[in-house]
Amino acid sequence: MTGPLLAVDGLCAGYGGLTALDRVSFTLEAAEPVALLGANGAGKSTLLRALLGLVPASAGRVRFAGTDLNGLAAERRVRLGIGYVPEGRRVFPGMSVRDNLEVAGVAARGDRLEDLERVFTLFPQLRGKAGEAAWRLSGGQQQMLAIGRALMVRPRLLLLDEPSLGLSPALAAEVFATIASIAASGTAVLLAEQSAARALATASRVMLLRLGRVVHDGPASGVAAQTLRDAFLGRAGART
Amino acid sequence: MLALQLLLNGIALGAAYALVALGFVLVLNATGAVNFAQGDLVMAGGILAAALAPLLPVPGLLLLPLVLALMAGLGLLLSLAAYLPLRHRPPVAVFISTIAVGIMLQNGVTVLFGPEPRAAPPLLGGGTLDLAGLVVPEQSLAIVAVAALLIGGQQWVFGRTQLGRRLRATAQDPEMARACGVPVTAMVMATFALAAAYAGAAGLLLANQFFVTPTAGGDLILKAYIAVTIGGWGSVPGAVAGALLIALFEVGVSSVLSYPVALGALYVTLLAILVFRPQGLFGEVARRRA
Repeated sequence: MTGPLLAVDGLCAGYGGLTALDRVSFTLEAAEPVALLGANGAGKSTLLRALLGLVPASAGRVRFAGTDLNGLAAERRVRLGIGYVPEGRRVFPGMSVRDNLEVAGVAARGDRLEDLERVFTLFPQLRGKAGEAAWRLSGGQQQMLAIGRALMVRPRLLLLDEPSLGLSPALAAEVFATIASIAASGTAVLLAEQSAARALATASRVMLLRLGRVVHDGPASGVAAQTLRDAFLGRAGART
Repeated sequence: MLALQLLLNGIALGAAYALVALGFVLVLNATGAVNFAQGDLVMAGGILAAALAPLLPVPGLLLLPLVLALMAGLGLLLSLAAYLPLRHRPPVAVFISTIAVGIMLQNGVTVLFGPEPRAAPPLLGGGTLDLAGLVVPEQSLAIVAVAALLIGGQQWVFGRTQLGRRLRATAQDPEMARACGVPVTAMVMATFALAAAYAGAAGLLLANQFFVTPTAGGDLILKAYIAVTIGGWGSVPGAVAGALLIALFEVGVSSVLSYPVALGALYVTLLAILVFRPQGLFGEVARRRA
């Protein structure tokens, strides 16, 4: 494969007559951790959902690992190597922890069990709860389960939507440390997050979204505080 | 001894009803929609078995795999015609489409086979066994065994296989299942196929002792609905328990009093459950955690 892992060109998407993404374009390299920041309603979740195919694109093109994703169903995109951790975790509540993980396994049974073991090594807390129904887990454990489930698809790109939402600071720090280790192991990460400080500490690059448009795209270390404030507070013409 | 006899008859009838209710609840869980054609699918299975019997003069047990396969095909057609085109519409659209399919099945069967009652062949033979003084019809034992095998098989597939995990994930959160790589549309179609196959099995089992007519489905869908309400909306064990309870009322109470009284007592029990335990016997009020 040559070129970027993910190439998004002029992507538009919305709900009914409402435009949530307006000509979004960017590329993402293999193993690159990118933070996606912006105020509520900026279009972060919609962008992740549109990349996965859960929200239909009204215009634009998306290529992943050399494959044109337009018109491809979400389940096919997942099998190409896109993992998704949704906002609010959305584990399968009536299924056991182990079944939550195994259902997302793309590998044949033997390799799937190896993947399962890898997730249990990453999240030892889940190993002891393997037989318990997912709804019994704490919020932090459910977040670990949601991340572990996304890893079962052997992702080359991991989409994370607000992974710290509803977690205590200590648990959120633990989750972000895990995300950093996943990125370090060679998985590209696109991390939508309200907590700018944590996201910037995890990512090497930051994209700011405002009203469905990318208003800044650059290194995470160099982003100016004023640029962040403008994007979050919705001031016109956030600086790039 | 009479009580044991009645209990066995009730369990045999309840086992067949359980297959009806199981198919009903599987579709309900997978799609959130009520399949009102489920009773007519049972009728279709019974008619199919009765129609195949003269062509293939073998015991019902050997006809069963063929009936299961043909009914699974009918279930696939049902999902393609009455569910998938309407799945993004309000639930009432699917209610109406499945009612329409049920009416088409009734009229189709009437045109093709006539309105008279028909009987399917017995599973093994029409004889009885003497078990320590208890006269047991072979058909009753065979019904219980076949239903237990089918229900056990469903539980095994859903609990132990990747297909079962995918079916359960689809039932719990279709969008998230899709985001985990599960082919949700195929899973929904498989659920309809399984539900129709189980309806067909129930039709074959019931049509030997009780005969089958083109309009028999209306009564059966009502019983499935009651079984699922009693057991807990969406609960598979609840649907089986509800079906057994209905059959025990029909056989036990009606033998002591009368069938109308048994039906009246069943509805009073249903009302009492709705008042004192509205979530049903096996239902849970809430089980989500933040």
